[in-house]
Amino acid sequence: MNERNREQELEATVRTAIAGERGASWDDMLCELHSWHFRHNPPYRKFCETGGVSETVRDWREIPCVPQDAFKHTDLRSFPAAETVKTFRTSGTTGEGFGRHHFRTLEVYETAVREGRRLSGLPAGPFLVIAPHPDEAPHSSLSHMFGTLAQREDFIASGGKLDLSRLRAAQEPVCVLGTALGFLNLCEQLGEERVGLPAGSTAMETGGYKGSGRDISREQLYGMISDRLGIAPEDIFNEYGMTELSSQFYARGPKGLHHGPPWARAIVCDPVSLEEVGEGETGILLIYDAANVGSVVGIRTQDLAIKRGRAFELLGRDPAALPRGCSRAADEWMNR
Amino acid sequence: MNTADRANAIAEAAEPFRALLGPTSTANLLAWVAAELGSAEALDRWITHGPAKTKALAPRTILHVVSGNTPHAALQSLISGLLLGSRNLVKLPRTGLIEADEFISRLPDVLRAMVDASSELPEKWLSSTDAVIAYGSDETLAALRARTPTGKIFIGHGHKASLGIVWADAEFASCAGAARDASLFDQQGCLSPQVFYVRETRTGFARDYAEKLAAAMEHFNRTHPRGPLAIEEKAAIANLRAAYRFRAAGDLRVTLWEGGGNMDWSVIYEEDAWFTASPLNRVVFVKPLPEDLAAAMGPAVDYVGAVGLFPCTEELADRFAALYPSRFCPVGRMQDPPWTWHNGGLPRLTSLVKWVDFEP
Repeated sequence: MNERNREQELEATVRTAIAGERGASWDDMLCELHSWHFRHNPPYRKFCETGGVSETVRDWREIPCVPQDAFKHTDLRSFPAAETVKTFRTSGTTGEGFGRHHFRTLEVYETAVREGRRLSGLPAGPFLVIAPHPDEAPHSSLSHMFGTLAQREDFIASGGKLDLSRLRAAQEPVCVLGTALGFLNLCEQLGEERVGLPAGSTAMETGGYKGSGRDISREQLYGMISDRLGIAPEDIFNEYGMTELSSQFYARGPKGLHHGPPWARAIVCDPVSLEEVGEGETGILLIYDAANVGSVVGIRTQDLAIKRGRAFELLGRDPAALPRGCSRAADEWMNR
Repeated sequence: MNTADRANAIAEAAEPFRALLGPTSTANLLAWVAAELGSAEALDRWITHGPAKTKALAPRTILHVVSGNTPHAALQSLISGLLLGSRNLVKLPRTGLIEADEFISRLPDVLRAMVDASSELPEKWLSSTDAVIAYGSDETLAALRARTPTGKIFIGHGHKASLGIVWADAEFASCAGAARDASLFDQQGCLSPQVFYVRETRTGFARDYAEKLAAAMEHFNRTHPRGPLAIEEKAAIANLRAAYRFRAAGDLRVTLWEGGGNMDWSVIYEEDAWFTASPLNRVVFVKPLPEDLAAAMGPAVDYVGAVGLFPCTEELADRFAALYPSRFCPVGRMQDPPWTWHNGGLPRLTSLVKWVDFEP
């Protein structure tokens, strides 16, 4: 079998296993994908070799995690550039460049989005999306995720203008999808108005408030959504994902912990030794995502989390106001 | 107590803080008053002012809102208020500030009675004060300014980013000083350099400079180890190192030197001249000096604190005037501003006093 056929076979294997059409040992699959990436992704290979990691690993935990930031400076692609069908970009700050995640096929990605949603317990629709449609934001993985879950007509924020009448007119339970900032804007736009969505309605919010200068807790946000839209806080989900990944982690309710699908693993590690921390301890989040067939499976995120069994409690990039002097630090620029 | 008496008492109380404050003798303090107010006695008696006479009036009460990791800034602020003879309300960080406690306890009774310190900020402090001096982020300052009644003096010291420029240093004579500048106060101060721009007097000089600086950082660390890191600070440095390690593996325009497994210090050489903000705690960048430094600073150009120069000449300061720092000084002395330094571009005593004239 030539490499090209092998590549398509790998994609098909991962996709059908995610879809539950056939069983898979995800431990072995992660190791196999690492070998594939090692052979076909020169920057990744160099990174592995620098760290003394070879093409073959016996345990998925031996797979080195590429820093999230590397997507800004390097094309982490395990297939010929000419075969790229889609590139998602991060929202970088000026001068820093964008992170880029290239895809040879979106089938695995979209299967992971649909199955991940199903496993999380989030309803299958009908949806109302308070974010731009993929046509308006073609480089946004977030929009693409919303577009994978919802229909074209479910998008009610075309051209940056929110069509509140669609919310007011809802007759059956709906699932409202959007960014945290989008929900905040929605609540502010509603002002004193209370839209009581039909009982059984749910919501899924994602992302932080980067660039907005806003910062409110998940509990406060869910309180606002609950108050304005009549959705119980326990029926609001947070989705944790990123441009550099193909899979998502979901938490339900204001205090919910994040869980991933079986093909994606999140481990909380000491930032220096990269040893997994003990139960209840804080560290950085490393993610292994078998749906990242065309890039790399191991990602070192910039987020902090607390280990809670097989799940994690997300703290984010800057969990506490840092005790800091008058020097303007990197994260302060980032937050602008 | 007149100004000289107060200066004398302050100098005595400040004695153990020499490393934080630099020279703080009675003469230093009186020279500062004289430099700003025209006479060391301007607060005590009428001094000639054109055809008339004038006297400086200190604010009755000054509120100092200070930050935790820069005790020297807190002490400097309090000292300015005491020197003027004002009553001082000091809002300490939530975790307290032992340097402030110790300094206050060393004051003679009459000066100590002029200081109230608390980790809380009672609303009546804001309403009863004549002037506010605050240190903090843009957001903190905006919130405080909004709470300060109109008509009061408000002096906000926002967060700044400092840098060094090495114009010509074939012998790497400035490296030890550069390491000191970037290491003291664990880089938390507004005078702490985050990037050194090094002129390529020969090909590869900036990279060589970075290597020498790394050695100097290690040397400094042996006698002055870094303070403890919170998990998020540790993670920020570890993530930055990981990102640059990845890049350095395949890109010769980037090199990373890492001090110790304990995140003691990091030096990153990067050919790209764009100003990269440091996560602090002894993480310093070295970049070749570009043609247009102000442009390479990007949004940071609005937040320049001090610029360390080597060599430190007026010509060089004029060349980089477009950075609008509040201070040009030699590399190696960035952390030692004199008492007369215009912090934030403003005279520190003059900004607080009012003048009353007497016409005979």
